[in-house]
Amino acid sequence: MRLGLMSFAHLHAESYIAALLAMPDVELIGVVDDNQQRGEHFANLFKVRLFEDYTALLREKPDGVIITSENARHLPLVEMAAAAGVAILCEKPLATTREDAQKIVEICQQAHVPLMTAFPMRFSSPAIEVKKLLASGKAGAIWGCNSTNQGALPIFHQQENLAFLNRNWFTDKHLAGGGAVVDHVVHLADLLRWFLGCEVTEVFAETNTILHAGQVEVETGGLVMLTFENGTFASIDCSWSKPAYYPTWGGLKMELVSENGLITMDAYKQIVTIYSHKTQRPQWGYWGSDANYGLLRDFISAIREKRPPAITGQDGYKAVEIVMAAYESAQTGQPVKL
Amino acid sequence: MTLRIGIVGAGFMGSTHAAGWMQTPAKIIGIHALHPPKPRQLADTVRAEAYDSLDKLIADCDVLDICTPTHTHHDLVLKAAAAGKHIICEKPLARHVDQAQAMLKACQTARVKLLVAHVVRFFPEYALAKTAVDRGDIGKVAVVRLTRCSYQPKLAHDNWYLDFEKSGGMMLDLMIHDFDYARWVAGDVESVFAKNVAFQKKDAPGDYALVMLRHKNGAISNIEGGWAYPPPMFRTGFEIAGDAGLIEHPADSSVPLGVYLRQTGSGDAAEVGLPMSPLSESPYTTQLRHFYEVLTNNAVPARVLPEDGLASLQIALAAIESAQTGKRVALAGGI
Repeated sequence: MRLGLMSFAHLHAESYIAALLAMPDVELIGVVDDNQQRGEHFANLFKVRLFEDYTALLREKPDGVIITSENARHLPLVEMAAAAGVAILCEKPLATTREDAQKIVEICQQAHVPLMTAFPMRFSSPAIEVKKLLASGKAGAIWGCNSTNQGALPIFHQQENLAFLNRNWFTDKHLAGGGAVVDHVVHLADLLRWFLGCEVTEVFAETNTILHAGQVEVETGGLVMLTFENGTFASIDCSWSKPAYYPTWGGLKMELVSENGLITMDAYKQIVTIYSHKTQRPQWGYWGSDANYGLLRDFISAIREKRPPAITGQDGYKAVEIVMAAYESAQTGQPVKL
Repeated sequence: MTLRIGIVGAGFMGSTHAAGWMQTPAKIIGIHALHPPKPRQLADTVRAEAYDSLDKLIADCDVLDICTPTHTHHDLVLKAAAAGKHIICEKPLARHVDQAQAMLKACQTARVKLLVAHVVRFFPEYALAKTAVDRGDIGKVAVVRLTRCSYQPKLAHDNWYLDFEKSGGMMLDLMIHDFDYARWVAGDVESVFAKNVAFQKKDAPGDYALVMLRHKNGAISNIEGGWAYPPPMFRTGFEIAGDAGLIEHPADSSVPLGVYLRQTGSGDAAEVGLPMSPLSESPYTTQLRHFYEVLTNNAVPARVLPEDGLASLQIALAAIESAQTGKRVALAGGI
């Protein structure tokens, strides 16, 4: 299994590489980045080959590529990879517009290349338990879900000597597609679609720009209400509301209320609290399982078994559709039907 | 001169208030309630009289403490105000906005105090967070999250909680606590969007709702309420994010006791769920001690104004309207 990685714009690139390097049946043939200094930095760090450009990587005929560019730059990389007939694992969100997301799906369909959207939470061990519990029917009908996927402001490496990593595009409306909503709604929206086994029919959103005002222009606070075909409603708090000195980056939690009671999930609860003289503040060390591992294994198996991946491009498209409806609702002040 | 208290209602809230008054210098002179033998039993417990006549109780007291079902508040407040008596009224202030407005007006005209028992403002964790916000600890409030879920009240007789016409259902009876608190910490509310179960599924064994508020200053609130948990579960929690900090109080986070004993009794839950956290003083008592100060010292401002009771009612009814219509409901000019 020969894989390559396209772009280090997204910081998940390092997590994927670290996981791939630990897999004996995978050969990471190389990486590419359009930021030369950044590419060299990570190629040296992980001791992997750095290709001079995307075409050079694709000429080597990898079995699959992982695309971890800025959200708005997924489409051109997908086009290249699909034209080369290479399977694609694309970082979420698939795109910054419905049209681009649709194109990405269509291009891969026409080229007959597998397309997987990187929603690793479907491989989170606590989330898998919830899925099983729901499938067992013990919870009965799900009435609603109160959920959060909050984080710190995604501005990185400001104090460190790593400005060249140039990863502050998460707060750039053009490159990211928006702010907290596009960053943090997709994981929960996708998990809920998976858990409930049906589609979103209506989206409502309230957003604001109070947190980190003056630092960024995009929305930093957001509450999104999804309503599903079966009547279940779910609120998602996607705010960048965790301070930079919070014990961890943020988190993902769900409370599912059903006719039979309550199921709670805190996906990053498996932690130890570390108090260190070095940091002078508590820090949470996560010891739970790595969801990225499961995501990558499914991508690899899908290529080997010539089957569609567990999470498809269509799943990625649906999440983009929900995000765009949320922005429309925040504009109009009323729910948007899908 | 001793402040003379007359309590109307001898159910769960009447008994709780009676116990609270016992911790103040005030004297409970009598209890009036519809269903014997409860008023007699409660009166005996607090060494007061059971009054058959509401009018006589109103005539004999200085303060009428109204602990009856929501739909009866309006008439009782009007009666007490007409008799020139101060009033403590359980939340929600009324079942309908026009009723609440009439109640405010009657109390103003009669120059009597109307104290609305929004007890959450007296729960120490909520009061502490409010103090921290006011002190500027977290800067400008941006996103508020409030949770309050329990099980469906299961009164053996006359379960008025389940009668929407009387109680307004879970969204009015239970969630009004957090509508009031959200407004207290984040300011006036200009729009409400809500989803609930009860209007979709008429035979649902309870209710669950998620409500989003937009405050005038741009802050947004996510409020969860439910009569949905298995008894005797009751959870409350909050989180307030500001541009200079964050306050967290997740449900289950400050449970000081763990009791894991093999069941010996029947283990039945109380009729109405209540949050449990051992304290030297019940927040209901804290509230009544504050009301006592307000009633006996004109220099002490009330922590809850009649307008606050009206506003939280308006927000709750807007949430119900939103859940019924599917639209975001605007509150003209902010409430």
